[in-house]
Formats: sequence, structure tokens, C-alpha cells
Amino acid sequence: MIELKHVTRRFGSTVAVDNINLTIETGEVCVLVGSSGCGKSTTLRMINRLLPHSEGEILVDGEDITTMNPEQLRLNMGYVIQGTGLFPHWTVARNIAMVPQLLKWPRERIDARVHELMTLLDLDPAAHANKYPQQLSGGQAQRVGVARALAADPNILLMDEPFGALDAITRENLQLEMLRIQKQVRKTTVFVTHDIDEALKLATRIAVMDQGRIIQHDTPENILRRPASEFVENLVGKQDRGLKLMSLRPVRELMQAHPEPKIPESGAEGLKEEDSLRLALSVMLWQDAQQVPVFNARGEETGVITRERLIQEGA
Amino acid sequence: MSVTGPDASHVVPNRVISALGLLALALVWLLDVGTIQPNRIVPGTGHGLVSAVGWGGAALVTAMLAGSILLAFLKVRGRYLILLALVGLSLALLPLLLDVFAARHLPEDAPYARSSIAAGFWCLLFLLSLMLIEILGQLGSRREIQLLLLVVIGGSWLMFLQSDGLESLSLVREFNARPAKFEQAFWTHLALAFGAVAISAALAFGLALKMMRSPGWQRPILGFVSFLQTIPSLAVFGLLIAPLSALVAAFPALEALGIRGIGWTPALLALVAYSLLPMVRNTFVALTEVPENLADAGRGMGMNERQLFFQLKLPLALPVIIEGVRITTIQAIGLTAVAALIGAGGFGSFIFQGLGQAAMDLVLLGALPTIALALLADAVFTMLAASLKPTPATA
Repeated sequence: MIELKHVTRRFGSTVAVDNINLTIETGEVCVLVGSSGCGKSTTLRMINRLLPHSEGEILVDGEDITTMNPEQLRLNMGYVIQGTGLFPHWTVARNIAMVPQLLKWPRERIDARVHELMTLLDLDPAAHANKYPQQLSGGQAQRVGVARALAADPNILLMDEPFGALDAITRENLQLEMLRIQKQVRKTTVFVTHDIDEALKLATRIAVMDQGRIIQHDTPENILRRPASEFVENLVGKQDRGLKLMSLRPVRELMQAHPEPKIPESGAEGLKEEDSLRLALSVMLWQDAQQVPVFNARGEETGVITRERLIQEGA
Repeated sequence: MSVTGPDASHVVPNRVISALGLLALALVWLLDVGTIQPNRIVPGTGHGLVSAVGWGGAALVTAMLAGSILLAFLKVRGRYLILLALVGLSLALLPLLLDVFAARHLPEDAPYARSSIAAGFWCLLFLLSLMLIEILGQLGSRREIQLLLLVVIGGSWLMFLQSDGLESLSLVREFNARPAKFEQAFWTHLALAFGAVAISAALAFGLALKMMRSPGWQRPILGFVSFLQTIPSLAVFGLLIAPLSALVAAFPALEALGIRGIGWTPALLALVAYSLLPMVRNTFVALTEVPENLADAGRGMGMNERQLFFQLKLPLALPVIIEGVRITTIQAIGLTAVAALIGAGGFGSFIFQGLGQAAMDLVLLGALPTIALALLADAVFTMLAASLKPTPATA
């Protein structure tokens, strides 16, 4: 758990972060979102003491971070930055092994861990372990960046616009990857972005920041339904909210389940249980269908979703 | 390598090689290849190509050069390999020309008569070397192969120079008159140049670290080392004599250490002073230009400043630092020759002695090894920097 209590950060006479209070529960993904210069990166960098805070208290698992050794503190926090920050003179494997080596793990344990992480992040160890960062694509490099942050299994993950420099398709892939990995590893994550869609997709709770203050700290659904101010309303996009809300909920929630899963005819098309309601609507509009079958992970048809229910209850 | 590659570049005529070949052909025919002197001081009589090595030798040289010009234009696969063999062999066998020349023209009954190398031969040597460099560049050959070639050619030259046929060559005569002095000069030269480089490297490293820790020191330190660079070298050598003499007079204990107003002490001090600027600047720039986001990542992952320095900054900066060492070494080897003026020894002593005696061959005996040393240092440090490049070329 990370707690920020009345934290302020000044650069000279300008106030970058203004008396913020924020509690990030263990295992949740807190996304700090706001335009550039709003203090979100500054907030993140105060948590691992890359920047000292001017006033207030920051507690990690109840302990004041100013009483800890900064290197020890950071070794227990994965750190992912925009543009990866991979060391160009180290191979992929050596980069991932950075923190375990700093912690002086035995060689075999490091090798096993590197292998495990590359597999987790969908990087073929045989093909990529001995490459250098500049031989990788942007998406691959950022996967290595995430693997490096996870290497020593830290409790906390700090991510500073990690996908900001990637193209839209790669970014989307990595976001999905992150959701998948987060399900497995459950890290307490602080994620900084200026992209509200990225925030809505990844966050368990979002902190909207503006001019060094936290305007609203709430779940994605509440941010969309009850924006605290006009600023938040504009940020999430007034007109677009209906569809954004639909993209937060999976098909599973609104489908009419069959009493027994059915084996579908081969070649039947439909949705997966975890697809978003937004996707369901899109498919219906495109196929001009009143209802679409829903399949589970094993490929069995578990129910149908109807256009009527979707329109009534979707957002 | 373009020989195996399917690219079209090797069917384009190579103008560089043909131009160099043409120039060599013209110069070797126009200029004297060698001279014969009745004794050490009297000016000699020059001999053109035909006179020097006879019609046979002249035909061979001409055929070789014409052949390489032709090859450079021909659309033959693997022509650069043939050119490499042709030019490499020519370079290795070049002393044979001098051998033939001496055998044809040296009078039997004059023990003081000597042969020496003239402009035509030097031009041939220089232009052939340029052709070789161009060929190696076109082949994109590896460093090891280039080095091997250098060893083969150099070895061939050494063998020729030690043989009886070239005993009459003035350069060889000058060497044979003072082999012990030559060896001593060699070691003195090396010790002075490399000693200065080592000392200034250590100093520069310390100064660069100081500038990184306290930015306030950047301007004074860079200003001071730049100022040192602006003083003419002869002046520094001279200017150091008086204060050093005074120092030794005040503290006689220093004399026991071999410190004197002239000799190696002022030479070493001056060489260190001159080496500081390139060394400090390169070290400082290299260490400070490590991208901030990498340092940020390293720090954020839990590296302390020491680990950050040794695992990130130093490895990334090393090629540029080595580049500074390379420039400094070449400069120091050249300057050490001048230091002979204040009695520091080294190859410079032959140069100044030769100038005093109007014996040009003695000057060459000092100058040629100095040049060779500088070229060798250049090659070694370039290779070192290349092998330390932190990352391979991007795929």
C-alpha cells in the first residue's frame, strides 16, 4: 500500500504538486492522468525518491520512505519509463537481469528468472536473449522494459508513460498484455499517462490531476458517470461517454446464459465472454443482427446477447 | 563484402584506384627514383626509372601500374581481390627496386659511396599505400586481415633492409653507424610519449570527475587546459628550464631523483601539459553525454551513483575516451621529437643532429620511425576503440 499525505513539491517558486492526498491499495492499478505539466510524473518520481518531496509524508506499507535507504526502496519498486531506458551496451538478458544482479542473486536463479520473464512477456528467449536493445522493435523493447521492472518480483510497479512512444496497434497490444500479466502477478501499480482511454482500460482507480492537484480519484465507471468537475467531464469526452462506459463492461454481464453450454456448429461466429459491450454493439451494427452468440474460452456457446438489452442497460 | 554481394558497385569502374595508378605512373617516370652519393655530405646524382633499374625493371613497374589501372576499369568479378594481391605484393617487393639500383650503380672501389631514395620512389610508395587503403575499403575487409597484411609488408621490408643488397642504402648506413643509440632513442621516445599520455590520462580523469561533481569548476579547468595548448611548444620547453633549475637549486634532493632544468623533466612536463586538453575534453564530454533517461532508469531501478558510473557511464563513454587517448598519443609522439632540443633524447636527437650536419639521411633516420610509431599508435587505438564500441551496429 502506498499513501501520500499532504504531499507538496516545489521547484523554486513554482508548485508542481500541491498538497495531494492519495492512497493506493495493495494490488490495485492506480492511473494518474492529466495533461503535461499537471504534476503526475513528479508525483510518481517522488514515490521512489528520484525527487524529494518538499512537504508531507509518503508511506509505503506504513513506513515513511524518507527513513529508508533510497536504493533499497527502489530495488523493491519496478520502474518502467517512456522510451524504455534500456542500457544499449547490455543484451536483453543482461538488461532484464539488472536488479537481480544488483541484489546478487546466484547465476542460475537469474538465468531461470530471465527465461521465465521473457516467456511471460511473449519474447522468445532463444531468439531475443542475446540481442541488443537497438535490434528490437519499439514494442519488443518496451516488453523488455516491463520484464526488467518485474525481474526481482517487486511489490510495487511504477510506470511513467510506458507506452507513450509506441504506435497505436503496438500500444493496444501491450495494454492487453499488461492486463493479462497484472491478473497473474497482482502488483500495486502506479501508472502515469495523458491518454484517458488508456487510463480507463487499465485502471482499477483513476486519479485525474490538474495543476498539481488531484481533481478526482475514483473508479473508471464513476469517473465517467459522475465527473467531479467540468475539467474531468471534458477530459473523458462529454459526448463519447456512453461508448466508453460500454467498453468497461464485459459481455458476460449482460448476456442471457443458456442453461447448458452448447457445442456450436463449426464456423459459427460470435463474441467471447470477456469482450466489451462496445465491441458487441459494433458487431451487431455491422452484421445488422438482433442478437449475437457468446462463447467461453473453450469455444462452447454459453449464451446470447441481444441488441435490446444492450441499448437498455449497456451504459 | 562486395565481391560476394550481388550489388552493382563492383561493376562500376573505380576512378580512385585508376587515378592514383595514373599519377604513380607519371611520377615514377618523371622523378628520380634514387641517387648515388660519393660520400655522406656531397649531393648525389639522380637516376630516373630506366637508368636506375634498367629497361626490365622499368617495364615491370609500368606493367604493374598499368595492370592495376586496367583492372580498376574492368568489369571482372573479384577484381578487388586480384588488385589486393597485385598491390600488396608490389608494396612488399618494393625494396627490390633499391636493391637492383644499388647493384647497378654503386662503384665497387668507393667504400663511402652510398645510395639513397629519391622522390620518385617515395611517391610510388605513398601512392601504392593509398591504393591499398582504397582496395581494403572496397573489400570491407576485417581489421585482422588488414593487420596481417601490414605485418607481411613490414616484415618483407625489414628482411630486405637487413640483407646485404641494401647495405649501401644511406638510411641503413646511418643506422649501422649507431645501432645502440637508435635503440636507446627508441625506448626514450616511447617512455616519454607514453609516460606523458599515461600521466595526463590519470590527471584528465580526475579533472573530468571534478568537473562533473562541481559544475563551477568546468570553466576554470577547461580554460586552463586550453590556455596550456595555446603556448608554442618550443616556448614551453624553453620556459620550463629556468624554474626547474631554480627548484633543483633550492631543493638539492630533487637532483638525486634525476630532475634537472633540461632533459626529461621539462620535456615530460610540457608533454603532459599539451596532452591535457584533448584528454580532459573528451573524457568530460563522453561522461556527461550519457543520455539522462538511461541514468534515470538506472537510478530508478536502484543503482547507486557508483554502480551507475561503472556499469553505465564509463562503458558508454569509453570509446570516446580512447579516441582522446589516440589523438593525444599521436600528438605526444610528434612533440617528443621536438623535446630533443632540450636534451630529452628520443628520435628527435637524430633529426636535429642531421639538420646540424646537413645529413638528410640522418634526419630521415629520426623522422621515419617517429612517423611509423605515430601510425602504429593510431591503428592500435582505432582498433581498441572499435572493439570497445558498446553496441553492435543496429540490425
